[in-house]
Amino acid sequence: MSGIFAYRDGGSVVSGEGLLKGSSISVQANMSVAGWPTEAGSLALKGFKAIEDATVVKSLRDQGASIVGSTRMSELGLGLCGDEAARAVAEGFSAIALVTEHLGEARLSAAKAGLIGYKPSYGLVSRHGLLGLIPSMETIGILARSAADIATVMAAASGRDERDFSMPVEEVPDFLNGSGQPGIRTLGWIRESAACLETDDRKAFQRCLEGFAKAGLTPVEKSMKEFDLFRTVHQIIGSVEASSSAGKYDGVRFGYRTPSAKNWNEMYLKTRGEIFGPVIKPFLFQGAYYQFMEYDVFEKACRLRSHLMREVQRLLGEVDALVMPAVRRGFDPFEAASVPALYDAFLFTLPANLTGLPAVCFPFDDGGQARCPGVQIIGSRLSDAGLLALAGERMQTTTKES
Amino acid sequence: MQHEAIIGLEIHVELNCLTKMFCDCPNRPGDEPNRNTCPVCLWLPGALPRFSREALEKAAVACLALNCEIQKRSAFDQKVYYYPDLPKGYQLSQAHYPLARGGWLDVVDEKGAPKRLRIRHIHIEEDVAKLVHELEGRTPVSLVDFNRAGAPLVEIVTEPDIRSPYEAMEFIRNLRTQIRYVGSSECSMETGTMRVDANISIREQGSTAMNTKVEVKNMNSIRHLGDAIAYEIERQKASLQSGEAIVLHTRLWDPEKGVTLPMRGKFEGPCVPDPSVPEIVVSEEWIGRMRGLLPEMPALKTARFQRDYELPRELAVSLAGDRELSDYFEAVTRKSVAPRTAAHWLMTQYLPSLKERQLPIAGNPVTPDRFAGVLLRLEKDEINANAAREVLSRLFESDETPDAIIEQGGYRQVSDASSLETLVEQVLGSHPAAINDYRSGQGKALGFLIGQVMQASSGKANPRRVREILVSKLT
Ligand SMILES: [Zn+2]
Repeated sequence: MSGIFAYRDGGSVVSGEGLLKGSSISVQANMSVAGWPTEAGSLALKGFKAIEDATVVKSLRDQGASIVGSTRMSELGLGLCGDEAARAVAEGFSAIALVTEHLGEARLSAAKAGLIGYKPSYGLVSRHGLLGLIPSMETIGILARSAADIATVMAAASGRDERDFSMPVEEVPDFLNGSGQPGIRTLGWIRESAACLETDDRKAFQRCLEGFAKAGLTPVEKSMKEFDLFRTVHQIIGSVEASSSAGKYDGVRFGYRTPSAKNWNEMYLKTRGEIFGPVIKPFLFQGAYYQFMEYDVFEKACRLRSHLMREVQRLLGEVDALVMPAVRRGFDPFEAASVPALYDAFLFTLPANLTGLPAVCFPFDDGGQARCPGVQIIGSRLSDAGLLALAGERMQTTTKES
Repeated sequence: MQHEAIIGLEIHVELNCLTKMFCDCPNRPGDEPNRNTCPVCLWLPGALPRFSREALEKAAVACLALNCEIQKRSAFDQKVYYYPDLPKGYQLSQAHYPLARGGWLDVVDEKGAPKRLRIRHIHIEEDVAKLVHELEGRTPVSLVDFNRAGAPLVEIVTEPDIRSPYEAMEFIRNLRTQIRYVGSSECSMETGTMRVDANISIREQGSTAMNTKVEVKNMNSIRHLGDAIAYEIERQKASLQSGEAIVLHTRLWDPEKGVTLPMRGKFEGPCVPDPSVPEIVVSEEWIGRMRGLLPEMPALKTARFQRDYELPRELAVSLAGDRELSDYFEAVTRKSVAPRTAAHWLMTQYLPSLKERQLPIAGNPVTPDRFAGVLLRLEKDEINANAAREVLSRLFESDETPDAIIEQGGYRQVSDASSLETLVEQVLGSHPAAINDYRSGQGKALGFLIGQVMQASSGKANPRRVREILVSKLT
């Protein structure tokens, strides 16, 4: 158990009345809980304590949840350095774990642990109090044993927060009473994504599709020639935003500060040189490079992002949802120690972050041939409740038959 | 070879909003350091900006006052630079999609010719923190005051239409009048609510080339702005004559020495879209509502004052140029004081009295009602001009009514014929020489005799009646 938590609540765990009465939830060390160390896995925030609860933390507590602790995390939440959040759930420390999604961290962590992982539509959950990195893509992600647990958390956590202006004004899905829309019938799978799998993985994915067909859904083959652009565009825009977001980490008011500097200019340079680790540092460098030296490349990436969003939207006009693999053999997210390795590992999950669409990843096992550690369903904006309902049905079948 | 100067201005105006631009902290930069702060404007991790409606509205009416077109869509960017006054690492500003474009202001150039000077765009941005450099014992320390961090600003960028220091000064005076009028800012260069930077280049007369420009900063009055531009034009001409190339750089105005000096190269960072503040989208209807908030602007008001009150142009311009003054003037005329009398007395007596006492127009003891009370008695010939000036002066020190002061102070003028005739007889009896002078055609003597009668009445005699009686006695 040691090593799972960056901080555990020492006080008696109080649980109130509400939707989440009796639920224990772990957060990550970049989600503000008043008075808790909030170091986000980085020297940059060494000793930093949150002044007040993040809106999401407050919403969950208001519905009776107890926040048991904050799990260790990768530096500033980019990628996964380990499976702490999943272990918190798998080993019973909390029923639910919140994980920041920049690239697909909640979904891949779940896929590796046989849990369900979910990324909401961008803007459904307030980011106020989240020490984020890529503001236009980041969301609170959720890990749990069942889709129903996630839906209950979302019923409490979603909705407009006047302290996060980036949240659009829109109707929030009804997470407690299902999607309220006709269920998902057709599932599009993108030829170019399946082509990124090696033979065994591809066969497993194909059998998974057959499993969906047996369960009464209709897999439809689709093509998206630009599929390999998701990764590039995510990396350019993500690194540029991260470079801006990390600009405030200078060791002046909080965090580690270099002991050896002759003047303030040197203090900044040395501190920033010393605080960032081997994955985040080159990522921030890349972002600064596009900002300062190749701004037109960044602008082009922004245009491509709009194009990719329109293309996915077009596909989602033809089918009810998209189905995609999540993990690939040989690209372990926990082992990704460089930026390219990170993008290799999160290849299938990052399109949902780039486009802001909701996605759910769950273990697929119909007791027969169709077995896949994590299969991913991506839906239209605000179709979150429908995705969770589908995942719930599939997983229930799995448990019954196994 | 004849040269002409090409001048463009960049004007930062601090909006007088109640709160900062992205949080609810009071917008009072002058308070005790770091008093008006919260996680948002301290730019602490986890805090997100919330754009203030008040800042948007104050900025919008300022844009409309400068004849700009409000853009239906505008957006914030992050202006990236690293300096201790900006520990967030970027300033929220509008680099790509400004709030307003394409405005203008009319000025009259030094030859008296009207000239329209164009505004390229106006964008909104947040102010940065203030650095205070001090000594702690013998160690120099730099302290950061976040009271100003996140204060709402607009930046007005002109086209390079300005050709002389005079035009630049006229433009800024006019801009200040317009923005003060709509109540968005005090626009004081002295107190720093307005900062003006000038971009200056020179070229051969008749050429259309745009040559390398030099930016001049740090002028803290309109006069300094003119002086700095004039100096910089001469400096560039001298450089050209000596064959030196002009290089792009920034210079600081040194008001003591009256020169501009190069400053260390400023790093221009990139501007990337900010994802946390959504695009500002406004409707035609909203813009119409903002336009509805504009008061009658000085140019229209001047025309109305000339037409309706039959004021001479210069007097109308002076009154209409200040919103409080023009409101005061109209309040006085509503008490049935003749507009010309009111205007004349405001400019020659009332304003100098305020200045002498360092009082504002709004909230000083001489309300329009009380001022009108004095002028009405003057118009009815119940007091004379001397007495009116004294009564006005006493109104500042007492809360008595003008009527009470006039009665108690014995300011009522003496107009009845028998009293005045007695006085006139006395004066004529003691100045026979003046009578002779008058009769031999020296008109001056009449003035002397009137003065003597006034003196004898302790200033209370009605001077017009005195003159009538004197003239009738002498002819
Ligand atoms: Zn604040």
